[in-house]
Amino acid sequence: MLRDYVHRLLRPGLLVILFIGVILLFFILIGKPPLQMFWSMLTYSMGDVFSLSETLAKTTPILFCALAVIVPARLGLISVGGEGQLYVGALTGTWAALQFPDAGLWILPVMLFAGAAGGAFWGGITGVLKAWAGVHETISTLLLNYVGILLVSHLVYGPWKDTANLGWPATRSFPVNAILPKFHATQIHLGLLIAMILAIVLHVLLNHSRWGLSLKILQRNPAVAALSGLNPIRQTILVMLVGGMLAGLGGISEVSAIQGRLQPTISSGYGLAGFLVAWLSAQQPMRALLIAFLFGALLAAADSLQMFAHVPAASAVVLQGLIFLTALIINQLPSQWRIPFWTK
Amino acid sequence: MDEINYTLAGSWVAASLRSASPLMLVLLGETLTQRVGIVNLGVEGQMLAGACFGFGAAAVFHDPVLGLGVGALAGLVLSLLHGVLCIQLRVNQIASGLCVMMLGTGITSYVGRVFVGAEVSGLAPLAGQFASAQSFWQPLLTQLTWIAPLAVVLTLVAGVLLFRTRTGLHWRTVGESSTVAAALGLRPRLVQWQGLLTGGLLSGLAGAVLSIDYTQTWAQNMTKGLGLIAVGLVIVARWNPFLVLPVALLFGLADTSVLRLQAAAVNTSSYLLAAAPYVFCLGILVVTHLRADRDAHMPAGLKAVFNDR
Amino acid sequence: MSAAPRFSLQNINKRFGEVNANSNVNLDIYPNEVIALLGENGAGKSTLMKLLYGFYTPDAGEIVVEGEPLVAHSPKQSLRLGIGMLFQQFNLVPALSVLENLLLAFPAAPWWQWRRRRLTTDVLACLQRIAPDIDPQRLVRDLSVGEQQVVELAKIMALNAQLVILDEPTAVLTPQEVERLYQFVAQCRADGKVVVFITHKLADVRACATRIVVMRQGRIVGDWRTETVTDNELIQAMVGKDTGLIVNRIAPPKHLLPKLMVKRLNVSSRVGTITAMDFEVSPGEVLGIAGVMGNGQRALAMVLAGILVPDSGEVILDGVSINALAHETIKVPDNVAYIPESPLTNAVVAQLDLATNLQLRALDALPFLQWGMPALHEAQHKLAAHDVRPSDPHLSAGALSGGNLQKLVIARELSRPVQLVIACYPTMGLDLIATRNVYERLFAQAEQGACIIWFSEELDDLLRYAHRIMVLHGGRVQSIGPVASFDRQRIGRLMTGHAQAC
Repeated sequence: MLRDYVHRLLRPGLLVILFIGVILLFFILIGKPPLQMFWSMLTYSMGDVFSLSETLAKTTPILFCALAVIVPARLGLISVGGEGQLYVGALTGTWAALQFPDAGLWILPVMLFAGAAGGAFWGGITGVLKAWAGVHETISTLLLNYVGILLVSHLVYGPWKDTANLGWPATRSFPVNAILPKFHATQIHLGLLIAMILAIVLHVLLNHSRWGLSLKILQRNPAVAALSGLNPIRQTILVMLVGGMLAGLGGISEVSAIQGRLQPTISSGYGLAGFLVAWLSAQQPMRALLIAFLFGALLAAADSLQMFAHVPAASAVVLQGLIFLTALIINQLPSQWRIPFWTK
Repeated sequence: MDEINYTLAGSWVAASLRSASPLMLVLLGETLTQRVGIVNLGVEGQMLAGACFGFGAAAVFHDPVLGLGVGALAGLVLSLLHGVLCIQLRVNQIASGLCVMMLGTGITSYVGRVFVGAEVSGLAPLAGQFASAQSFWQPLLTQLTWIAPLAVVLTLVAGVLLFRTRTGLHWRTVGESSTVAAALGLRPRLVQWQGLLTGGLLSGLAGAVLSIDYTQTWAQNMTKGLGLIAVGLVIVARWNPFLVLPVALLFGLADTSVLRLQAAAVNTSSYLLAAAPYVFCLGILVVTHLRADRDAHMPAGLKAVFNDR
Repeated sequence: MSAAPRFSLQNINKRFGEVNANSNVNLDIYPNEVIALLGENGAGKSTLMKLLYGFYTPDAGEIVVEGEPLVAHSPKQSLRLGIGMLFQQFNLVPALSVLENLLLAFPAAPWWQWRRRRLTTDVLACLQRIAPDIDPQRLVRDLSVGEQQVVELAKIMALNAQLVILDEPTAVLTPQEVERLYQFVAQCRADGKVVVFITHKLADVRACATRIVVMRQGRIVGDWRTETVTDNELIQAMVGKDTGLIVNRIAPPKHLLPKLMVKRLNVSSRVGTITAMDFEVSPGEVLGIAGVMGNGQRALAMVLAGILVPDSGEVILDGVSINALAHETIKVPDNVAYIPESPLTNAVVAQLDLATNLQLRALDALPFLQWGMPALHEAQHKLAAHDVRPSDPHLSAGALSGGNLQKLVIARELSRPVQLVIACYPTMGLDLIATRNVYERLFAQAEQGACIIWFSEELDDLLRYAHRIMVLHGGRVQSIGPVASFDRQRIGRLMTGHAQAC
């Protein structure tokens, strides 16, 4: 009994130590003092209330994007479309928010709904292409990412550009009522609470409901679908709609709470980070909750390090790639060495 | 009048060939890789590596040919990583490819900062000024470098290699089934490595062609998903090197048309035009997939990658 | 048997995990013999021959060829020694042509493979000798199973094998193809080659063997010259006991009002085609369906199960049209039991536990939210009643052996009363006792008034147990009638599309 608990704590612990090792190695490779840099990362991400709020602010879209990967993954779909869905969700949500400049507080749910719908639409395209035409979801999500981002650029540089900004490409600012409430004076906003609640709901649905069981059956052996009366086409579209919806919520909450208006760049790699979080969590929403926080910290620290220690922004991408690499290798090590972090 | 039309046609062909060359090379590489049963989404990262390091070498040593060589090697090195992950360690190929893509993107953004704004001398055109001016061949000879003919010849050579030699037979066998190949006394992993590394070399070369010959600049993420488009288009080319040529040319023609439309001052947002290749690619994927016989051409070894994990 | 043995297996032992596949096996193979290696599934016949071929390495014991003990044996070495083996699973690449498949097997194939090269023509000559009617440019996937087997044999002969091992070669063939194979074996013997013929069918043994070796549970339990042994002795040696293996044929239905009606059915789909099919089945009737695999059986089974929508025509069960239901949701109706072929790929989810697998047909009956195993108690009961081993409902289905997997599917499909049972090759790969159990369960449903549609390749069993037989060829009903009007030869001719009249 006790041994079991020790094991359950030991494994993630060992992994965290390993990933810290990867981070230190990376700093050595780029010629920075590793321990000092790592200490800076810790302080810049969790050292004080301000840093912690930055971390949690970044955790929010990452968690949304991770959930957006987890739901399709339960059907065996590898969606890498969080980024595009996030942009399109931000786009449609912004449209709703700017339609009603004098709206009351009712605009908040309307805006969130519009954002969710936009993301769902974007994810749904992938679902339909997969279900009806057999187009592989990884390729279509990756390509749609480019299209989604370019769509936002088009609107922000063109029709939606606020001329009062002079050269600056951005829409008008959101009306006051369309800005998600924040926790005191921090960057932590209502989106985080929504994401956490959704993670818990998804945990229950995916692991303990008939729907979750259906996905499990369809993922493992689609041939028995007809025996059970399951509809693979409907479920494929459904999981992509739900996934897109989650990322779309992430997009509009980020734009509304953090930026206050739509700009060409919304995400600093949240889609990618979300994908990694989902992979590391073994498609488990509750684990994703924790891991998203660590990745939020990583991105927040990367932002600060860029400013204060001249560590290029690209470092964050390299680091995530290295972490992914390490995770993939560990998962394939011979079983006596393996740390089955995500094999249940 | 006719002569001008010929020249115009020639310049369209030349422009299409020029813009199609990088895609042709990377598409050929991915086709060969998939023929041995490996999907490599990492070609996007490998192209970036080829573009970045190739451009760097060309700029530092003032030698475009050296740059192309270095670029091809950079692609090869990254594909080694994919091989270690999915051939040796049996990692899921899609995940492994994404990892290579991520690292390629990250490392080139990191290293490439120093190359932004650097200059390279491109390759010389096939012929200098053509005295006899107006003809169909004039723009082809003056606008094209030896890259386009090389790409065309490579696809043909690859086709012959694949369909008319024992090596090609072994590649196709491994792509159909590693188990059967092993039972027949082949060494599937070795063959897979051959196909994968060939693909790596070609994708790196494709990236270097893009930065050294085509745009003659380096910019972060400059491939803009061209590698991913290639992964999609392999299906359209039915895993057949001989079909790589028309598919890449079609794409090149579309690309050229978009650029010329824009140059002709058609009032369309440049951002929407930039999205055209992705939409176009998805469109022909849908059309190809809806044709009932698509699975008939797919190497059976890939079905495991594409259909379930 | 005067000469020294050419091949000799001495004190061979081989274990796979817990199972003793071969224990202390001694077998000498003399020149000019055709040995039938007889035994039930899992008796260790294939293992023994794969050891001889070098596919496996023995845990203990020695393989001696022409007096020389082998060290570091491998299939490659077998090639040199002239040992060729025809596996049950063909080593052919379906997407490649016959010629390319032959060239693959040749270590000395030319690098440039243009046609009409010398070696290419050599390879073709070999195919020409065994099968003049196969076009070398055809893709292997377009060949029938019998033709594919011929290509495999051509590969073996092209490598000049002196010992030819055939692993259950007749399991997949039509009676006419079986005849051709017997001729091939006779030809090999005439050419001075040695043949080992692995089988569990007595007919094969009588047709071509000079010597019969029987294996049971990893040991050799009998070794006779063919003419000195009776069928009963052989069966007794194979099974170890001779009682209770034959199930009684159940009485044919008394009232003939049809319960299942299939009218003018036409299907054209990925899984097969059906053209203008008409038939009716009475309650309690067992309709056996014979045919070479891939002649519309799969499509017919799926249409009857309601999971493939026909192009035209109707399937009516108990007055209700099955296809009308199919348009709403694709689901096997609740009053139909469906036992598809190869349960591991078509009927269970290998990674999920047994309890969930038993529940697959009634997911809607589960509560929407639930913690823990679904319907655990019921599952335990069903597993025990159908003797599924091991019977732990928490175990994943992939851990079961083929026979137990089939029992699991039968436990799910047949433990409630149904109107129609569709059983596709339900005994494939099962041993005799497991086969008997399957038949008992199947026919018990008929006794309670269900229609049984039973696809099988075991013609003898069809003739023994079915009330009526329907032969399919090319998606059409070639013939349908009471079992008394059929015999093996007639079914065989009908299966291949020959001789409508006889």
